[in-house]
Amino acid sequence: MFSFILRRLGLLIPTFFGITLLTFSLIRLIPGDPIEVMVGERSLDPQMHAAALHRLGLDKPLYLQYIDYVVNLAHGHLGDSLITRVDVWTEFTTLFPATLELAICAMIFAVVLGLLAGIVAAIKRGSLFDHGVMGLSLTGFSMPIFWWGLILIMFFSVRLGWTPVAGRIDLAFDIPPRTGFMLIDTWLASSRDPSLSGAFVDALKHLILPTIVLGTIPLAVIARMTRSSMLEVLREDYVRTARAKGLSPSRVIFIHALRNALIPVLTVIGLQVGVLMGGAVLTETIFSWPGIGKWLIDAIQRRDYPVVQNGILLVATLVILVNFVVDILYGVANPRIRHAK
Amino acid sequence: MTQTQNAAPDEAAVVYPSPFKEFWQGFSHNKGAVVGLAFMTLILLAAILAPWIAPYSPIEQYRDHMLVPPVWSDGGTSQFLLGTDEAGRDILSRLIWGARQSLFIGLSSVLMALIPGVVGGLLSAFFPKLLGSSIMRLMDVLMALPSLLLAVAIVAILGPGLINSIIAISVVSLPAYVRLTRASAMTELNRDYVTAARVSGAGLLRLMFVTVLPNCLAPLIVHATMSFSSAIIDAAALGFLGLGVQPPTPEWGMMLASARDYIERAWWVVSLPGLTILLSVLAINLMGDGLRDALDPKLKRAA
Amino acid sequence: MSLLEISNLSVQFGSEARPFNAVEGLDLSVDQGEVVGIVGESGSGKSVTMMAMMGLLEGQGRIVADQLRFDGKDLLKISARDRRKIIGKDISMIFQDPMTALNPSYTVGYQIMEVLKEHQGLRGAALKQRALELMEMVEIPAAAQRLSSYPHQLSGGMSQRVAIAMAIACKPKLLIADEPTTALDVTIQAQIMELLVSLQKSQNMALILITHDLAVVAEVAQRLAVMYAGQVAELGAVPDIFRRPFHPYTEALLSSIPEHSKGARRLNTLPGIVPGHYDRPVGCLLSPRCPYVQERCRLERPALTVDGASGVRCHFPLSAKEVK
Repeated sequence: MFSFILRRLGLLIPTFFGITLLTFSLIRLIPGDPIEVMVGERSLDPQMHAAALHRLGLDKPLYLQYIDYVVNLAHGHLGDSLITRVDVWTEFTTLFPATLELAICAMIFAVVLGLLAGIVAAIKRGSLFDHGVMGLSLTGFSMPIFWWGLILIMFFSVRLGWTPVAGRIDLAFDIPPRTGFMLIDTWLASSRDPSLSGAFVDALKHLILPTIVLGTIPLAVIARMTRSSMLEVLREDYVRTARAKGLSPSRVIFIHALRNALIPVLTVIGLQVGVLMGGAVLTETIFSWPGIGKWLIDAIQRRDYPVVQNGILLVATLVILVNFVVDILYGVANPRIRHAK
Repeated sequence: MTQTQNAAPDEAAVVYPSPFKEFWQGFSHNKGAVVGLAFMTLILLAAILAPWIAPYSPIEQYRDHMLVPPVWSDGGTSQFLLGTDEAGRDILSRLIWGARQSLFIGLSSVLMALIPGVVGGLLSAFFPKLLGSSIMRLMDVLMALPSLLLAVAIVAILGPGLINSIIAISVVSLPAYVRLTRASAMTELNRDYVTAARVSGAGLLRLMFVTVLPNCLAPLIVHATMSFSSAIIDAAALGFLGLGVQPPTPEWGMMLASARDYIERAWWVVSLPGLTILLSVLAINLMGDGLRDALDPKLKRAA
Repeated sequence: MSLLEISNLSVQFGSEARPFNAVEGLDLSVDQGEVVGIVGESGSGKSVTMMAMMGLLEGQGRIVADQLRFDGKDLLKISARDRRKIIGKDISMIFQDPMTALNPSYTVGYQIMEVLKEHQGLRGAALKQRALELMEMVEIPAAAQRLSSYPHQLSGGMSQRVAIAMAIACKPKLLIADEPTTALDVTIQAQIMELLVSLQKSQNMALILITHDLAVVAEVAQRLAVMYAGQVAELGAVPDIFRRPFHPYTEALLSSIPEHSKGARRLNTLPGIVPGHYDRPVGCLLSPRCPYVQERCRLERPALTVDGASGVRCHFPLSAKEVK
């Protein structure tokens, strides 16, 4: 198992360097003079221009610039935002819990419902339920989620008034950030201060619609994949063997079939992490959710290049790390992979 | 023995259906696919005939008819069938003209990803050592970035606009084509017919494009359909974020960008453009399912 | 009374409007400790019969029978829950392809112990002990280490031994072996057959051996049922049938064994294939292929005429003929 993890880790390193190369060159693709673009002024004093070039290390040859970039990264220097002057790492870590909280909720929503729907659809193949799941999942898969968010807001927030329109918590609640996870923070706060007792429920209400919006596409993909994978596994000989042992149907399905059916589903779930990060950009924009996605979009619109560059680097690193963890889990779930040389 | 004697003329008499007919039989077996095809034909016609069938100019602002609801709603008029937006522009006309943008972005980004993707995939299959593995590592890097985020970043760097949207979307959909082509070409390369072609002296280009490529087409066509639909969604998402086609050109996603402000007053401004996107994407995905059934039975399970 | 008594069993697939009888009017009985061979070509309904009895068709086929009595209980009349208490315990089954019959995600030990937990409620050390015992009974070398192996780490023969261990775990009264050696290497086939027979004797189990290898049946079985297109064509004691088959199909089968065809230049074969879904003849199912076919055979389906322990389904049984 240990050597399996090491092998996978070895594959990560070139990918990571590839990504640094990509984010490094990204900034250099900006048309026009980088200093003018970054400072936002034209016809800068030539002396200041040269000084700025030198300060940013842009007067060195490209490969040295890249080495500087990687060395800085290795020391944890990700640069400062041009707008807020706060360093990128601090901004990222402040905002990341909001995205993580939303992503975890969306993933739970998608995995629980998707697995259930997929399993039941496979067992009741050809039934009305099966057709319903297939139709809905294709629709979900085709959903432009930014519009889906607007429609949900229009119906549940505006028409019915059940859920708030935007943000993570009502402004009336002043919640001290402790973990950055609003659900946990409000829980902690309300246990100490009874006047904040409604905060947890309020935070939960704020989460519902963004969770649904962000979870829709993963839900559709997981349901489809679970169904087809279950159908395939249910035809396998070892499922027949399990039934011939006189095991109960639930044991046959959940212990014998599902364990094997989950292997491809797990890969698909892992791939959804990238989808979630892309979806977070849209979901957070629609719901004014103060997370990484909205941060990056704001940075792009303000031409805050250090944030764009290293924010993307951080997100990409996160995605490859999650994929790495999924790979490991895949090995745990599938002895054939684990033992493969 | 009598049976075998009878069988021979029988077999000779069998008329094999033409490839197209065979394809159509498989495709039309899937009802959803036919509905999808019909809907997309409609959208395509709308896009082509936009100047003639759109009731108004998509950018003409009727200042005294702002936020008019659709004809079947209270206060709607038959003058504007699907109502007007906040600037008094006819929504139906904007949707019809918008189809042009969406289909254009979708088609061109598919082509711009398909062609280099296929070439890259074939090259990495034919030269798996150095060239192949460096191409694949590059694709790994592109795959590590969430596709929409990468597209947004590319547009952010290049600047918003139609052409840059197309470039961004083709770049993010490139890796899938490369991987798919490489995988199917690798399997084909081991087949005897490729060896036969090699032995009979076919050149590299001939081997790549005439011998191997046609046998990799089925999964590629299916994937191209699916990526067409995701290109439409991504283009709309870019438009929604204000990074796509710039106003006043009508584009479905961009029509939603300002819709958030009218969410309490004008449901039609919010619903209709998105519904059009959803239905088009759904139609294409349905077609994709049908294509998969018709072209490659092996792929059925892969969904 | 017999251990297993099947009478008039039919299994239908397909729609109600166009049903397909995979098994039709099948009668079979098996006594305690007896070995019965079921022989027939692929698609003749051998496996389907046994799967129907075990309740493994899972709603795919419609099963009808006058009775399907095992050890005093009619398996069709009891609830699925009660049947599961018998399946895997008193009746167990071994399948054709051992490489796919074991679950790839669990260790061999887990899969053996699962049966013991389910039916005998064994736990802890006793459970482990019994699993080890079973592994040794099926002659798996280094049994203790093998318990923690995964199926993909075992060879085909080893996997089949594991499957046998699972099947005999609860000392079944009836073991059904569905072509247990077909998927194995020739050298391994004999070993597995030998193991099955010795286990059958030592455990005094009844054994139903589904096979198309008549030589094996001749060696192992006391009685034989020959199936053709979902029906029993002929039924009887092994020595009798081998000496003097009554059904033309049995005769054809026997004459396809090399030992029975000494002197012939080519092995005898029956032209044609088993009739499929849509080409079932009106009359005797063998009529399109039968060398002795008569007008009546084409028009009227024969019934199984039983005489004591033997029976034949033919209008014109081959009475005095000797096998060539």
